[in-house]
Amino acid sequence: MANLPTGLISHTRKVQSLYKKALRSLENWYDRREVYRYYAVLMRKRFDDNACITDMRVAKELISKGEQELRSTAHWHPRKFPDSPGGVAYGREVPLPDWVLDYWHPLEKAQYPEYFARREQRKKEFVKLWEKQYGPSSGTPH
Amino acid sequence: MAGLVKNVRLLCRSTSYLRYYSTRPASILLRKCTKTEQGIFSNDRLVTATQRLVLPHERSYSSKPPLSLKIIAERVLLVLKLYDKVNPDKLSLESHFINDLGLDSLDHVEVIMAIEDEFGFEIPDADAEKLLRPADIVRYVADKEDIYD
Repeated sequence: MANLPTGLISHTRKVQSLYKKALRSLENWYDRREVYRYYAVLMRKRFDDNACITDMRVAKELISKGEQELRSTAHWHPRKFPDSPGGVAYGREVPLPDWVLDYWHPLEKAQYPEYFARREQRKKEFVKLWEKQYGPSSGTPH
Repeated sequence: MAGLVKNVRLLCRSTSYLRYYSTRPASILLRKCTKTEQGIFSNDRLVTATQRLVLPHERSYSSKPPLSLKIIAERVLLVLKLYDKVNPDKLSLESHFINDLGLDSLDHVEVIMAIEDEFGFEIPDADAEKLLRPADIVRYVADKEDIYD
C-alpha cells in the first residue's frame, strides 16, 4: 500500500527512489559485498554527475531513462526482506486485531478481571478524547 | 579426564574451520569481536581451547536479538558511525542528517538502506523521507518492532 502514488511526488524523491532501486538491483546482481560496493560507487558517480542539472525537462528525461535502464537490468530473482511481500516469512505471524478481545466469552473475560476493567476504562477515555477532537457524534449508536 | 580433553581438542579443531561468512548485523559481529580479544580478522587457529570454552557460540534459533529502546539507539548510532560521510564527533541522537551532519539526499538514501539492512525490514520511501534524525529512526524501528521501553 505504501508504494501506491497518493499525491504529488517531488523530483528529489523520485531521484532518491530511483537511486535506492538501482542500488538494490546492483545488490541482487553482485552478492559479494566488495564487488557490490565497487559498482555502487560507480552508480553514485553517475547520479552525482547529473546532480546540478537545473533544466527540469532534461532531468525528467534522465529519470525516465534511468527507470528504463532499471527495468531492462532487473534481476530474475530479486532479494527480499523476510517480512516483506514475497519474502520467506511474509505473513508467518498474524497479529490479531484488538477488537478480538471484545468478543471473548464473559466467562473467559472473568479470568482476567483486572485487565478487562482497565480496558473498559480505556475505551471510555478514548471516546472522550475522540469527542474532544472531533465533537460529539451525531448518529445513533449501534 | 583425558577423554574430556581429547573431546575438547577435537571440538576446537572442527570449529576452527568455521569462518565468518555471517550476514548478521554489524553490531552483533562487533560484540563478538570485542569479546574475543583477537577479533575476527585474526587467524582462527590461534583461538585457544580456553577461549573457546569461555566464549560459547551464541545460537539464536532464527529469533531476533533482544531489543530495547537503548539497544536500538546504540545500533542506529553504530551504523551511522560506520558510515564514512558522517563525522562521529558531531553525531548524536538529535543531530539532523542534512542540516547538522551535512549529508545530501542520496546519502540519506544510503543511510536508510543501511538501517534497513541492520534491522532487516523494508522502510518505504514515504516513511523514509520523514526520518531525518537518528532519534526518528529509533522511534520508527521501535514502533515497527512493538517496543515501548
